[in-house]
Amino acid sequence: MNIIGESWVTTKFENLEDWAQRNSFWPFPFGTACCAIEFMSTLSSHYDVARFGSEVVRFSPRQSDVLLVAGTINDKMAPVLKKIYDQMADPKWVISMGACACSGGFYRAYHVMQGIDEVIPVDVYVPGCPPTPEGLIYGILQLKEKVARDRKKLRARAKSIAAEGEPREVSDRADAGSATA
Amino acid sequence: MPTLAPPPPETPEAPAAAATDGLAAVRARFPAESITPQQGLDQPTWIVEREILADLARQLRDDPATKFDLLLDVAGVDFPDREPRFDAVYHLCSLSRGARLRLKVPLAEDQPLPSLIPVWKAANWFERELYDMFGLQVSGHPNLRRLLCHEGFQGHALRKDYDPARRWILTEDKIYQPKFDLPQTADDLFERMIVNIGPSHPAMHGTFRLMAVLDGETIVASDVEIGYLHRCFEKMAETHNWQQVIPYTDRLNYCSSFINNVGYCRTVEKLLQVEVPPRAVWARTILSEFSRIMDHCVCNGSTLVDSGGLTNFWYMFQPREEIYGLLESCCGARLTVSYGRIGGLAQDLPPDFMERSRRLLEIIPPFIDDVEKLVDKNRIWIDRSVGVAAIAGDEAVNWGWTGPCLRASGVPYDVRRAHPYDLYDTVDWEVPVLYGGDVYDRYRIRMLEIRQSLSIIRQLLDRGMPEGPYITDDPHVALPPKEACYNQMEAMIYHFKLIMDGIQVPEGETYSMVEGANGELGFYAISDGSGRPYRLKCRPPCFPIFSTFSRLIDGGSVSDAIVSLGGLNIIAGELER
Amino acid sequence: MSAQRTALETPYPSSPRPYRPGLAERLYLPLFSGLLVTLRHFLKNVFRGTTYTIQYPEERRDYSHRFRGHHILTSRPDGSVRCVACFLCAQACPAECIHIEAGEHPDVNVEKYPLVYEIDMLRCVFCGYCVDACPEEAIIMSNNYDMAYFTREQSVVGKADLMKPFTFDENLLGYRPRYPEEDEKRARMRRQAFSLVEAARQAKEREELAAARTAGGALQ
Repeated sequence: MNIIGESWVTTKFENLEDWAQRNSFWPFPFGTACCAIEFMSTLSSHYDVARFGSEVVRFSPRQSDVLLVAGTINDKMAPVLKKIYDQMADPKWVISMGACACSGGFYRAYHVMQGIDEVIPVDVYVPGCPPTPEGLIYGILQLKEKVARDRKKLRARAKSIAAEGEPREVSDRADAGSATA
Repeated sequence: MPTLAPPPPETPEAPAAAATDGLAAVRARFPAESITPQQGLDQPTWIVEREILADLARQLRDDPATKFDLLLDVAGVDFPDREPRFDAVYHLCSLSRGARLRLKVPLAEDQPLPSLIPVWKAANWFERELYDMFGLQVSGHPNLRRLLCHEGFQGHALRKDYDPARRWILTEDKIYQPKFDLPQTADDLFERMIVNIGPSHPAMHGTFRLMAVLDGETIVASDVEIGYLHRCFEKMAETHNWQQVIPYTDRLNYCSSFINNVGYCRTVEKLLQVEVPPRAVWARTILSEFSRIMDHCVCNGSTLVDSGGLTNFWYMFQPREEIYGLLESCCGARLTVSYGRIGGLAQDLPPDFMERSRRLLEIIPPFIDDVEKLVDKNRIWIDRSVGVAAIAGDEAVNWGWTGPCLRASGVPYDVRRAHPYDLYDTVDWEVPVLYGGDVYDRYRIRMLEIRQSLSIIRQLLDRGMPEGPYITDDPHVALPPKEACYNQMEAMIYHFKLIMDGIQVPEGETYSMVEGANGELGFYAISDGSGRPYRLKCRPPCFPIFSTFSRLIDGGSVSDAIVSLGGLNIIAGELER
Repeated sequence: MSAQRTALETPYPSSPRPYRPGLAERLYLPLFSGLLVTLRHFLKNVFRGTTYTIQYPEERRDYSHRFRGHHILTSRPDGSVRCVACFLCAQACPAECIHIEAGEHPDVNVEKYPLVYEIDMLRCVFCGYCVDACPEEAIIMSNNYDMAYFTREQSVVGKADLMKPFTFDENLLGYRPRYPEEDEKRARMRRQAFSLVEAARQAKEREELAAARTAGGALQ
């Protein structure tokens, strides 16, 4: 997108693009357990997450940009989660909803992953068991603010991928390998 | 450690009783030393040698005097200090006679169990679970491999020497690839395809993996893999004390979590022989019925949205939100309530409980009416659901079905009617039954049950709220009230001991059941006298129902499979504990 | 569609009898009544403004006094923490998310206080067992559910943050042992039903009476 070079027009256009992007998150509800039921409540008319741009929930990683992991992820599900995350196109974000997805919750057990950040990087952690729909919407709003803060970094990253084929700098996310059980 | 009670001496009355007692008649056909009754338990219990198990099972099922046609549960128990080490515990039920029987088969590590699939098809997945959790071999099983834990898992998780936190990583190469035994023709390479539906799939019902061999849109053969939400509930129960297990039970059937609380608390109360005060019983009945309404709302809403009727999803979720308001005013949480405690309730009912409940009785019916008007006589829905995944009553019983799915197949078995508990035998209500056994009837029966639940709640509210305590006053079971705890030394000491050591449940075992939203939710608890359960097995109602899934969808189309999945109400939290 | 009180009759039905739609249903006629239902809701929402949506974050749902939200460590009148580091909450917690390190308190009546009191919010399941277990009413829960973190480290909330009251309004507190409107009635009910000292004394009396009877019986 470098036809006419950097100018006032392209930066305003980029601002518009970023505004549109952060106000229309299309979530991929990777719902496994009780948090999925609270996510369904968030979708339904009482809380209506469609007011924040998530009018459609796309059950396909190719068509969504926020991976909303709701529910316990165990070791059997971990390769599936990683595959879905890899299949999503950039830019993508991850919201980890609920105690089980964030940290394993109270399942310090032989089959439960102690937090999805063992396999994928997470942008926002929403605590609660399950978090109330308002809590989830608060998490989505926090993600929106984070995306607004980080948009210049994201743009630079996208440009470097386009120019050189790989990112020049590491993006500002909580990386894998966090606290274990 | 629970020990085997010694068998009673043969009394002269026993031969005379044998003529009238069907159980004794069956027992008499086997060598005397191979069946030992165990006395003093809540159900008739026999300790059976594994060599005669298959034969005995067949006789118990077929003999008209016993007719144990429903295999409820198969649990394994590990006694590492005992020889033989394992017990396989079978819970049987005779629906028509209302009788129950428990069979215990002691096994050493290398001795195989005979498979009971020829007798009860429900045994299929139960035996796979025995293998997965305990390493017990089952001879004659067509597909003995892990059910809940992943393929890269080593060891057997519920054995006492297995470290609860020891995890194994699943790598891509170990993921199970299905092999189907189908006749191959030259065209098959072009026409047939194996497709994975799940574990991440658009249907709104739990996570599972359906491997289907498709010929166009028709499913020729299929296999189901579960375990994607196995959260080790039973191992967590062994590492926490009796009171701390209650939040774990919430997350079993998370759509109606209070019923799980009640089921578990009733099991422990049975072991403790503690009485629950009338106010708590009244509140438990009402809140269980509200939870049942919630669960049926989410089941029907999700089924309809999976077949394209999105509006019903919005309409069915609104009653849920209203009931959440009531539950939240009682205990502070919407979904995972943890409101039950052993001996009663966690907190007293709020002052406006009656008004809120009455308001709910007025708010909920219009939504149900709306959905019925949209869907009941709608030919689109009728075409999609009538005759789909149909199963007859006798086959359903053999597959271990209970609950609304069984009642939709013509067998009116309801735990609240057959073994009444709480206040269900004091109110006037009906057990709805339909005869189609297909998705349409499963949807219809849930709507009928919602109406019955509303009627039960109305009658109980009209009766008035009983006064009195909301939890037993036995200080060895329930935390003393805070006022006593702040001011009295004895209360402080009881409080401290209950938190630090847990409730000291005496040695013993019991099986207790409630009618969950999906069917008979049973808990089999063994206590060894310490503050923690020695073994807690949950009998999930949707476990045998889901094991039938392959049989239900073979021959149908993919869209039929999605719709029939919805009708069964598979809650993964309960299915895989 | 029968809903009669049927006894379990055997043999069970051996083949399903599905629903047979009537003529009107086969002609798609009831679809119109369905369309009327949605039209009615649409008109109600547009012209009477009866929607169920809560416009969060401007509007908030009215949760009760018992809501189990973010924890609060209460303080004494002098501002210090009320907690005496008895470890009951850490023991009662099923998720083991409370980490306490005890220190000696200069006042000999208080004895201990927590040097470190941390709750890992991402492990917490908000069950309220810590509030039930606390003998000092030192930990209660608030009505606050707005929590989201960007890193795992941020989620471990320490003593200072737990003591910071996000409100001084009693009505915005959550799950705790005493509620404003229930104090009188609850306290009275419980005093009558649960007097442990009284119960212990009566039990002792009964025992002595029974022992006296059997002793008298044995003599005869």
